[in-house]
Amino acid sequence: MEFSLLAAAAISGAAFWLVLRWEAKRGNAAGCALDLWDTGLMSAIVGLAAGRIAAMVLVGVNPVTNPGQVILIRSGVSTEVAVLGGLAAFAWLARADLVNAADAIAPAGLAALAGWHGGCVATSSCLGTGSTLPWAYALSGSVVTRHPVELYAAITMAASAAALALWKQHGRPWPLAVTGTALVVAAGTRLATEPMRVSLGSAPITFYAIGVIAGIFVLGFGWARLRSAE
Amino acid sequence: MRSTLLIRYLVAAASVALVASACTSAPAGPLPPAPEPTSTEALVAQLEASTVPVVVNVWASWCHPCRTEASLIASASTARPEVRFIGLNVRDDPNAAREFIATYLSEAQMDHYSDRSGRIPIDLGATNGVPVTFFYRPHGELASLHFGIIDEPALAIGLDEISR
Repeated sequence: MEFSLLAAAAISGAAFWLVLRWEAKRGNAAGCALDLWDTGLMSAIVGLAAGRIAAMVLVGVNPVTNPGQVILIRSGVSTEVAVLGGLAAFAWLARADLVNAADAIAPAGLAALAGWHGGCVATSSCLGTGSTLPWAYALSGSVVTRHPVELYAAITMAASAAALALWKQHGRPWPLAVTGTALVVAAGTRLATEPMRVSLGSAPITFYAIGVIAGIFVLGFGWARLRSAE
Repeated sequence: MRSTLLIRYLVAAASVALVASACTSAPAGPLPPAPEPTSTEALVAQLEASTVPVVVNVWASWCHPCRTEASLIASASTARPEVRFIGLNVRDDPNAAREFIATYLSEAQMDHYSDRSGRIPIDLGATNGVPVTFFYRPHGELASLHFGIIDEPALAIGLDEISR
């Protein structure tokens, strides 16, 4: 049993819950009637299941005849399908008030992603390419010091989540501004840190680039919508 | 009402497509030869004689997680020709092992050996469980071993460590 992955998921869930609580206390989710914890959790579960099933299909394992393998998250999850599945589930669950719900949940969602990346501490998978920077460290039994690339991603996303929450409290972001910025940060962080990751060449770089563009589009769409309403 | 019906049809069509696309086809043509039996001493001698890094992946046909990680192992073995990949089939029936290789590892650039007793992984420092993946530097120096299903980041880091 992979308890380390459960620990990473728990860190992610805790980060999500904490930011939701912080925001709720400051009235940042005003106008949103959804239970954001339930909605976020259900979207994450749907996304994870969709991504896992897609990964099974891609390697030729039938999810219908091997249903037990759906929970083997460690075996691989299709990032693209998981993200799209999660977003689709959220859009469906929040369809009655999508803009408010998206803006209300975006900082917490980003914090959850930060927690997931920071969960590398539990799964011992923080390290990337070799580096001689002072904070680089080596795997147990190795002399090769490496970038703690997952921690870079976690710190960037956590700082951005805090900045977005403060922007909502003290600034007056236009509708979808927070959602669009969160999308840009999430996809952009992955895109920027990808050169520091060691992979076998299957990283969905194009997907991350599309995510950044989609975020910018959402920002622009919200702005245009506001201007046309005025 | 119409949109509900449409959604139902879409879900039904997606389910059928999912099952159809995910059905693993039976291996076509003759099966590969059964993995050659080996011993701890013989395998260690191979590792010590190797001038290139070696990955030893311990698998069995009855091990479901082994099926799942097989495609990753296979693609890594073709993507990294400078590393030798060895498959160690343990506690298995030779014919089931042949079918497993034909179905899941036919694309892999790796040599397979068998250990009916399952003793070799324990002698090399692992436990009784499968899958296990060992990463060896040239001349048989063990760099690390990974218990359970290996994912791409862990495999990539392991390969990077032994390739330096």
